[in-house]
Amino acid sequence: MNATFTLLEMRRITRDWAGMFFTAVLPAFFYLIFGATVTAKDQTIGNGNAAMYVMISMAAYGAVTATTSIGGNAAVERQQGWGRQLGLTPLADSSYIAMKALIAMTVAAVPILLTFALGAATGARGSARAWALSAVLCLVGSAVFAVYGLLVGTAFRSEAAVGAASGTMVIFAFLGNLFIPLSGALLTFAKFTPLYGYAALARYPLTEGYLPDGSQDPLWLPVVNVLAWLAVFGAAAVLLVRRGRERQ
Amino acid sequence: MTTSPPSVDGASGAPAIELRSLVKSFPPRRGSQDTEVRAVDGIDLRIEQGEVVAFLGPNGAGKTTTLDMVLGLTEPTSGTAQVFGRRPREAVVGGHVSAVLQTGGLLRDLTVRETVRMIASTYAVHSPVDEVIARAGLGTLADRRVSKCSGGEQQRLRFALALLPDPRLLVLDEPTAGMDVTARRDFWDTMHADASTGRTVVFATHYLEEADAFADRIVLIAAGRIVADGTTAEIRSRASGRTVSATLPPGSVTGAVARLRTVDGVREVEERGSRVVVTAGDSDAVARLLLLDLGGTDLEIVTAGLEQAFMTLTGDGRDAGHGRNDRDAGDARIPDEELVR
Repeated sequence: MNATFTLLEMRRITRDWAGMFFTAVLPAFFYLIFGATVTAKDQTIGNGNAAMYVMISMAAYGAVTATTSIGGNAAVERQQGWGRQLGLTPLADSSYIAMKALIAMTVAAVPILLTFALGAATGARGSARAWALSAVLCLVGSAVFAVYGLLVGTAFRSEAAVGAASGTMVIFAFLGNLFIPLSGALLTFAKFTPLYGYAALARYPLTEGYLPDGSQDPLWLPVVNVLAWLAVFGAAAVLLVRRGRERQ
Repeated sequence: MTTSPPSVDGASGAPAIELRSLVKSFPPRRGSQDTEVRAVDGIDLRIEQGEVVAFLGPNGAGKTTTLDMVLGLTEPTSGTAQVFGRRPREAVVGGHVSAVLQTGGLLRDLTVRETVRMIASTYAVHSPVDEVIARAGLGTLADRRVSKCSGGEQQRLRFALALLPDPRLLVLDEPTAGMDVTARRDFWDTMHADASTGRTVVFATHYLEEADAFADRIVLIAAGRIVADGTTAEIRSRASGRTVSATLPPGSVTGAVARLRTVDGVREVEERGSRVVVTAGDSDAVARLLLLDLGGTDLEIVTAGLEQAFMTLTGDGRDAGHGRNDRDAGDARIPDEELVR
């Protein structure tokens, strides 16, 4: 681990104001609109209230936007020659990956902390265990989408594609039951989409699986969803990185 | 973070670079009928410490792939590459070798100083950041974003990065590609200023004048092989020899041409009115014959240009006589006669 390298990388990322806006400010803003200011915000949900439900969803959305873009940009940078430049230094691949992972987790923590702080100030209520556990699950689960970013960055080799991948998070977030409560056939379909499992898992300490429409997901459902998508993203990324190496 | 040159250890007597039967082939592109592409097709080369060597060759000759193997960025398909008697990656990790690569490979949203600090942080021991910035002539640009730097300035930044470990071997891969004339001259001025330290320098280029001006030794590469290796003067004479021309008495030209063709080492005899133009390895013998036996006057001896040598050796010889400048022919073939070593 190399402190200078990591801090300079952090400074680079925070310098990108547009990126930081979408990562940190937008989810917090969404929380205020959909969570803090609605009349039903005090309605009881599981171990807390509706405001908390929305707060966790928005924090999760912000965290995956961050990790997708960091993972994707890392892949694009490496292919645009920065990888060769680093190949001329003693820096080992494993240290590079460890530093990028640390950075991704740190940046993902920003929207989580910001949204949770706003939540605490504007009436989100829940058990202490639900607060702590859902914050941790938001953070850890967002790593899956760093792999997704890596996959898109490796496949399309451009910053624009990574921007688009971050953008598609909005669609996955709708399908993942993050923005508006889904029901019926759409809800059934949603359970197979990438953000559903992660968001449901992050909210599990609060909801214990209960959904806004009254039905309940067993714990294994979000767990299987997260693991399955991790396997899909991971296998595709490994395949692409390998093929890229052969070609060079 | 102190500065000291990398320690010269037990392997100090080893050559800076030693390549043995080096081969690198790439699989054919998906869906194409081609067989595998041999980018490097059996290179043997030894470069001693302190030499300044140019890898000269047309685009696609295999220069970059060869240097990639020297730097441990690519593994050879077969054969070995050693740097100061050890594996390339070990030499890189030890700070013994560094490189200025072709364009690309900088982070646009960092400043010049941040880029140098970032790469510096990967070395256990390195030259002070501000010192390498000054040596690369970037003193006034240190706080500028990389994205706002010109191509030449970015290249000097890569040079600054390469200076960080104070390497004993510096590799430059087409360091001035894409630069305008002024930027190229500035870059080489910076290089010259730094070259006094006795560093081994190997650079790839397809600019003949660069190889001629900066290198002590030229390794000419075409189609993945070394086609010539020697000093610039040697390369010139080996390739085309010298051209001797003289005016002959009227009526004797046809006979003289026939006689000149029998002389050893004469490659070509051409009639131009009353003058004959002879291309030969041994220009003295031809000159003697022309002046003493054939009654020639107005004798001229001209050494062929490096450019002509280059084109002859890389298989573009047919164009050499017309002085054409087409050195980018990717399909350069190896001449049949063995002109090497």
